[in-house]
Amino acid sequence: MPFIAPALAILCFVSLYPLIQGVSRVFYSFRALTGKNVYSGLQNFVLLFRDPVFIRALLNSLVWTVTSVAAMFFISYILATMLNSRHLRFRRAFRTVTLIPWALPGVVVSLIWRYIFLSSGPLNTALSSLGVIHLPAWLIDTHLALWTCIIANIWMGIPFVTIMILAGLQSLEGDILEAAAIDGASYLQTQLRIIIPSIKKVILIILTLESIWTFNSFDIVYVLTRGGPANASMTLPLYAYTWAYGSQQAGYGAAIGIIILLILLSVVVLYIREVLQ
Amino acid sequence: MRMHPVKQVLLHVAVLVMIAFLVFPVLLLVFNSLKTQTQIFESPMGIPHGVTWDNFRTVITGGTFLINFRNSAIVAFSTVILAIIVTAPAGYALSRFKFRGRTAFSMWLLATQAFPGIIMVLGLFTVLKVYGQINTLPGLVIMHTSFALPFSIWLLKGYFDKIPIDLEEAARIDGCTRLRALVKIILPLSVPGLLAVGTFSLLLSWNEFFFALVIMRTNENWTLPVYLSRFLGSGGVVQWGPLSAAALLVTIPMFVLFLLGQRYLVSGLTGGAIK
Repeated sequence: MPFIAPALAILCFVSLYPLIQGVSRVFYSFRALTGKNVYSGLQNFVLLFRDPVFIRALLNSLVWTVTSVAAMFFISYILATMLNSRHLRFRRAFRTVTLIPWALPGVVVSLIWRYIFLSSGPLNTALSSLGVIHLPAWLIDTHLALWTCIIANIWMGIPFVTIMILAGLQSLEGDILEAAAIDGASYLQTQLRIIIPSIKKVILIILTLESIWTFNSFDIVYVLTRGGPANASMTLPLYAYTWAYGSQQAGYGAAIGIIILLILLSVVVLYIREVLQ
Repeated sequence: MRMHPVKQVLLHVAVLVMIAFLVFPVLLLVFNSLKTQTQIFESPMGIPHGVTWDNFRTVITGGTFLINFRNSAIVAFSTVILAIIVTAPAGYALSRFKFRGRTAFSMWLLATQAFPGIIMVLGLFTVLKVYGQINTLPGLVIMHTSFALPFSIWLLKGYFDKIPIDLEEAARIDGCTRLRALVKIILPLSVPGLLAVGTFSLLLSWNEFFFALVIMRTNENWTLPVYLSRFLGSGGVVQWGPLSAAALLVTIPMFVLFLLGQRYLVSGLTGGAIK
């Protein structure tokens, strides 16, 4: 196996071994008194389930992922369908422009949205010129902070999802659609009964990858709100980082990481089961 | 079938509205980079009047921008080269050989996508520390490569699958070794696939923030995303003008490469997913 060996060796070195190392950190706790990490068994997990901020971050992460991915998919599906229409002019140009947010670094995207959502920023200026009197303080309102992050995340995810759906649509044979039209299927029927089932494979891979990436995402929340105010927009990856690198509790950070790992692996297992069927 | 003209106009309006939503935030960034701080706050959305290049001057001459730019470039290009050297044979083996554990290997590649950054960073930190590679560029290259590998292998396998096996068999009958057949016959035919892997790993490395934030401890070793995030941390009023100029300078090189490479990247990504 001389061909697979280098990849296997490197993958073991940079992916399998660090995974085991990282997971094993959960059995240790940092003692400030001695400045050392000592073996503490399952204590980190016990602490985790008594930690209200962890529960908050877990719920936030679920809301963040489910709403982001659902909205990304819905918007992108409509956009892809329109970009696939024979009646649209300048299709190529429109498709290329759609990709623009994809090329931007996550940090840059986050900075742009942080500016847009400033209390006296572009969005509120627009709202006030429309006559809105009580302007929301997007980034510092506990009810809005998570949603501002979600909007930025949706914006960033649309290009990838759109292009993947578009590719799926382009792989469809014209005759299925014509047959549907002849049989008098309505527009909605054609979409739900014919198109979506035919591109099910692409849809599954998009939903799986995008859910994983969104759940793991760090940049947007870190730059926009740092999880604030008062942990209102705290997500699991950011919370793990705060413990592991903000207060040297690598073990506690690892415990949060293991929870993330279990959630995401179950997503992967669901995907594999669905595909193997 | 013809579309009703009203419907057709509505279709174009709807597409334009969506495109505006995707493009307008980027335009704001361009506008801000050309405005003074007072202008930015007096008209947050307006087109700059009396363009100023001061923001760009401030960014380039002050601080560590140029050093960090160089770091980002070194890390990104090393990641691309390493990723291609490693993924080409692996993708080839996955595509051509039926070996034991092949399915397990593919599943493993998919599972790596689910590994949380925090666990990987905690583990890699320990590995890199042993070799004294914390706060170094090679350390970050290794991290980025580990990130880029699984997807790249999967992408290249898809490409190799499309190349007819007869070509190599003919060459092998003529006495060509496997490796030679890969280098001389398969790789030249998979240039689009290699370009897709290149664009993908380049973007990934250039844009990556989390690992760089954790392992780069000193200003002169930062990469650009870390440099940008520090604009917010210094306290007081955020200097949106220079920040936007810097963000634009970070974005432009990748943007150009992206426009050149997007065709390959898109066909590579979608080709793998549709089959």
